Amino acid sequence: MANDSQNSASEMAKIVDDGGHEVKGETADEPSSKPIHVIREPVRDEQVLNAVKFLSHPKVRGSPVIYRRSFLEKKGLTKEEIDEAFRRVPDPPSSVAAVEPTTTNQAVQEKSSGTLQPQVANQVSQQTPFASATTSLRQSRFHWSMALFVVGLAASGAGTAVLFKKKIVPKLKAWIRKVVAEENDLKFNKISKSNIAEEAAEAAKAAASAAAAVAIASQELLNAKNEERKYFEAFTRMLDVQVEEMKSMGNAIRKLEITRREFSEDKGIQEYMQSQSWKGTTNNPWRTNQVKQATSNFNSGSKHLEVNGSPDMDSGIAKPLTTPASVEPPHPKSYMEIIEMIQRGEKPPNIKPWEVTQQAEQRLSYGRHSQANGQGLNSEVRETNSQPNGSHSNGSEPWWRKKTIKISEVEPESEEQFYDAMRGNASPMKRGWVPPQPPTLLLPEAADAIRQLKPSIQKQQSVDETLTVGSSNGEDLDAKASDSTIEPEMSGSTGMDFSQAKDQEREVSVEIN
Amino acid sequence: MPVFKTPFSGYAVRFSPFYEGRLLVATSQNFGILGNGRLHVLDLLPSPGAPGISEVAAFDTADGVYDCCWSESHDSLAVSAVADGSLKLWDASLPPSANPVRSFREHSREAHSVDWNPVRRDSFLSASWDDSLKLWTLDRPASLRTFREHSYCVYSVSWSPRHADVFASASGDRTVRVWDVREPVSTLVIPAHDHEILSCDWNKYDECCLATASVDKTIRVWDIRATRAPLANLAGHGYAVRRIRFSPHRESVLLSCSYDMTVCMWDYRAEDALIARYDHHTEFAVGIDMSVLVEGLIASTGWDEVVYVWQHGTDPRA
Repeated sequence: MANDSQNSASEMAKIVDDGGHEVKGETADEPSSKPIHVIREPVRDEQVLNAVKFLSHPKVRGSPVIYRRSFLEKKGLTKEEIDEAFRRVPDPPSSVAAVEPTTTNQAVQEKSSGTLQPQVANQVSQQTPFASATTSLRQSRFHWSMALFVVGLAASGAGTAVLFKKKIVPKLKAWIRKVVAEENDLKFNKISKSNIAEEAAEAAKAAASAAAAVAIASQELLNAKNEERKYFEAFTRMLDVQVEEMKSMGNAIRKLEITRREFSEDKGIQEYMQSQSWKGTTNNPWRTNQVKQATSNFNSGSKHLEVNGSPDMDSGIAKPLTTPASVEPPHPKSYMEIIEMIQRGEKPPNIKPWEVTQQAEQRLSYGRHSQANGQGLNSEVRETNSQPNGSHSNGSEPWWRKKTIKISEVEPESEEQFYDAMRGNASPMKRGWVPPQPPTLLLPEAADAIRQLKPSIQKQQSVDETLTVGSSNGEDLDAKASDSTIEPEMSGSTGMDFSQAKDQEREVSVEIN
Repeated sequence: MPVFKTPFSGYAVRFSPFYEGRLLVATSQNFGILGNGRLHVLDLLPSPGAPGISEVAAFDTADGVYDCCWSESHDSLAVSAVADGSLKLWDASLPPSANPVRSFREHSREAHSVDWNPVRRDSFLSASWDDSLKLWTLDRPASLRTFREHSYCVYSVSWSPRHADVFASASGDRTVRVWDVREPVSTLVIPAHDHEILSCDWNKYDECCLATASVDKTIRVWDIRATRAPLANLAGHGYAVRRIRFSPHRESVLLSCSYDMTVCMWDYRAEDALIARYDHHTEFAVGIDMSVLVEGLIASTGWDEVVYVWQHGTDPRA
């Protein structure tokens, strides 16, 4: 128990000493600290004396030497001092007692200086006279209880200080901070709330604008795509047209060679060729020529190419026609489709391979009918009107009936009279090509000759004519038919022109057949 | 006003000189590019309450029909110019199995126009893209005469209403030629336009007056005695003028149809020449005719496969 207390006291003392060391450093006011500081290194007598006192304590004497030594070391004694103390221990403690009041005072001071609080030091200093009055034995105990008490106080004080320092202050600080933070938070919240609303609005606006931008962008993309598609389609159309042109050009060139050969052989025709520039593709087989002719009028952008093509090309295609309108008349869609189909080589649907059977029964009576009915035509027109036309008839006379007009003599009834009058000749009853005087007649002699032809000569010549013509056609015609025909060649007396025409016709018919 | 829907694209229309309400319509499949053709004989229904057009007969051809005309000598006969170069004679009074009555095949290229001699009434002319015109008569299977002077396709031929042997032809070589059948060569050459001439027609009242219609969108009226400059230059169409017809009833009135889908009526002697414009067609208007028997009755057809018959001054679509 005593050991324990001693130990605890020694421990406490150690603690105090430790604290005292610190305090010593801090409190420069205490006069005792200075000299201790200075005298630390050399052998300090006070220390030795204290150590002797300590060692002379009966309890200490009972403890092992090691403990004594460690205690003294812990006290801060140097080894020499400790040795000195151990040497002196067997020495009489009186010298120690003499120096006791000072040493105890100093020890107490020492010990008291270990306290953090000067109050304790005061208390201790007050207690020291009381402590010095007592006996040595009682002093030590008193010291130790005093020390214990002081230490306890100090400890409690330290503890509280520490506690205070470590826990309560931070808590206070935290609390203060919290309060401040709350205030800040409040402020922040207020600001942030308004901020949030604004931010939300802004965000919404931004989102909307972003969406709009995206929509615009996507629409532009679509438009661009559409345009691209249009361009692409236009481009492909142009390409198709180009291909079509090329094909037709090839065809035309081939045909041109053929026709040129033919034409060069045929002299009679060449005489009548008035302008060579137009010579060309008369035999273009392909209907696209029609299309091109017809559509070159339209001046479609694609046809422009062929129209403005090189003049040495097939004139049927590359006619030097600068089309008047720079605008293309809108073709029906299906029209272009059909053309394209044909260019591709496909036939448009629904075409019947219709072969028209030629009725070989010659309705020769037609010719006679025309003669016979010539007189009675008028009667047919109005009287044989099997179609009642109530809604549409205005009852006006046909134009060739009107008597108020110059050409009233064209009436069929008076027609014969007209002819007779003009002819001035009693010609046969047949209505042949013996005509009245035309306004512009290049060869009046021919007209006279025609009028003055005798029937016999006419017949003969007509027979000749029919024979020649018939031979070329492989037919036999009867004279009656020939009589009723309207052949200018019948009057061949003027010769040259008509024979030429005859020849031409024969040639032509031969060529065609 | 009655409308008739044809299965194929219309190409020409003609009033019958015998019957007031009878029409002939030439049509071609696939706009005439390739395919069959059909010739319709139509009748205008008389009932005033419900005007309509009915089909009397229809004749199919192996190739498209570009033009047609009635015979002036027989009330049921008609001639068609077929795209395969042949001319077919049809008799509307006969069943389709007996038709065509004749087939005249001499042209080496498409036959584009036919016209029947209104004075002599026994012959007809054909114009073809082989640069030639041919004169035919009913009882001769071969042509009587070939007129080859043009250097390009002959688009149109028209007999003079006044003189039995005179006719005019319009060609793609930009000239109009006046011929006399009795002459070996053409009587007159008029370089009428700077572009292809698609149609020509004589004035029914003025024997020296000839009108031409061209790709240059104008119609020019000429006096054949003085051909340096036209009597009138009628502009107003948006595109090439396809066909013109002088009115059989009014001296200076002519009708025209164009690729601008309109049918226009002009008075070339008037200050403001355009009298009327009908834009009832929704495609190229290519065929027109004015009735001889009924004053003011107009018929038109086009690539929109309809035939309209209406009275001048009224709305064809009404």
